[in-house]
Amino acid sequence: MENKQELIQRLKEQIIKQLKLEDKKPEDIGDHDPLFVEGLGLDSIDALELIVLLQQEYNIKLKNAEEGQDVFRSIDTMADYILEHSAS
Amino acid sequence: MYIQSAYAVSPQGSFSELLESPAQYRGDRLTCKEPDYSKYIDSKLIRRMSRIIKMGAAAAMECLQQANVTMPDAITTGTAYGCLADTDQFLTRMVEFKEELLSPTAFIQSTHNTVGAQIALMLKCHHYNNTYVHRGSSFEAALTDAIGLIGEGEAQTALVGGVDEIIEKSHAILSRFDLYKKDGDTANLIGDPEKGTMAGEGAAFFLLNSNREAGCLAKLDAFQNWYKPKVPAATLVEDFLKRHEAPAGSIDLVITGANGDARYDGVYEALKQSVLNAIPAITYKQFCGEYPTSAAFALWMAAMIVSTGKVPGAAALAAPKRVLVFNNYKQLYPSLYLLSAC
Repeated sequence: MENKQELIQRLKEQIIKQLKLEDKKPEDIGDHDPLFVEGLGLDSIDALELIVLLQQEYNIKLKNAEEGQDVFRSIDTMADYILEHSAS
Repeated sequence: MYIQSAYAVSPQGSFSELLESPAQYRGDRLTCKEPDYSKYIDSKLIRRMSRIIKMGAAAAMECLQQANVTMPDAITTGTAYGCLADTDQFLTRMVEFKEELLSPTAFIQSTHNTVGAQIALMLKCHHYNNTYVHRGSSFEAALTDAIGLIGEGEAQTALVGGVDEIIEKSHAILSRFDLYKKDGDTANLIGDPEKGTMAGEGAAFFLLNSNREAGCLAKLDAFQNWYKPKVPAATLVEDFLKRHEAPAGSIDLVITGANGDARYDGVYEALKQSVLNAIPAITYKQFCGEYPTSAAFALWMAAMIVSTGKVPGAAALAAPKRVLVFNNYKQLYPSLYLLSAC
C-alpha cells in the first residue's frame, strides 16, 4: 500500500474525476478542508458518488450511513479510513 | 396565442449565422454548436449536467431572458430519446460492474424528464411541469399541452421545448437501420436522389403567451398533428387551412421537413401539386439534420422569419408575413404549424 501522502494525492485526483470538478486541481483541495457545504461544497448526491468511489477503487464498503459523516469530513479522514480498512 | 420569444441550440450558431453563412456539414450527422453555458448555468450545476441537459437548460434560459420572464406558468418538454448520454453511462456500468457500483448521478439524470425538471429547479418553479415522450410527435405533444393550458386559462405563459441529442451508441444503432447517408453533404442534402438523410440534434424552447406582449416574435395561428393519417398530406393541408380560415393565398412561405432521403421526399413533392403549388417553399433539415423533435427547430426558424422578415437561403423573397410549416417525420407523424407576424 502506498504511503498516506501518495494516497491523499491519488484520492484528490479520483474525486475530481468522479465528481467532475473540472475547475479544480489537486492542489486546490486542502488535506483538511471540509468536503461538504463549505470547502469543496459537495452535496448529498456527491456523498453517494464517494461511496461508489470507495467501493470501486478500494473495495471498501461503508458499514452504515452514519459512518459517512466522519469518513467524508475531509480528504485526510478519507485517507485514514482507507488505510485502516485496507490493512484489515 | 403568441410566441413571445424563442431560442434554439442547434447545429447553426444563431439565426444571423443561418442567414449569412449557414454552417455546412459533411458525413452522416450534424452536431450542435454549443453556447457558453456559464452565461446561463451556475458552475456548480454544470459539472453534473450531460450535454442534452445543458443544451436544453441554456435554450430555455435564453428564451426566458429574451422575454424578460422569470417564472413561466407551465413548462412542457418533448423528447423522443431523452438523456441518452446518462442512460448509456448508467446501463454500461450496470453491465460492466454486474449491477453494482452504479453512479447515482447518471441514474438520476437518465430519465427523460430531466431537462424539464432541471429548468424548473434552476428557476425554483413549482408550477405545472410535464415531459412528453412520443417518438416523432414528442414536441407536438408538449405544444398541444401548453396550448391547452393557455386556452383553458390555466396558464398565461408556458415554456415549451423540444430536445434530442446524438450520442455515439445511439447513432451507431440507428445507422444500422440504413437511415443515414455515409457521405452526406448539407450543401446538397435536399433533393439528393439516394436513400438516407443526415442525423441531427438540437434543443429549441419557446415562451408562449396568451397576450401579445411588446417584442413578441409571432402569432401562432394554428397547429395540428396526426399519427398515421389515412388521407394524403395534401388533403391534411387543405382541411387544416379550411378549418382555420386561412386561404392558401394568405400564406407567403412554406417550410417543409424534406430531409434528402429519396424514399420519403415524395410526400413533400406531392405538396407542390396541392393548394400550396404557387407558394415559395424552403426546407430546414439541411440546417439541423433529421431527428424526432426537429419540428421545434422549424418552428424557431419560422418564428424568426416572420419576426425579422428574412428567409435563410432565399434573400430575394419579400418579407413573409405568414408562414406554414409542414413536417412528416418518417411519414408517420405529420404536423402543421401556421404562424403570422405580430
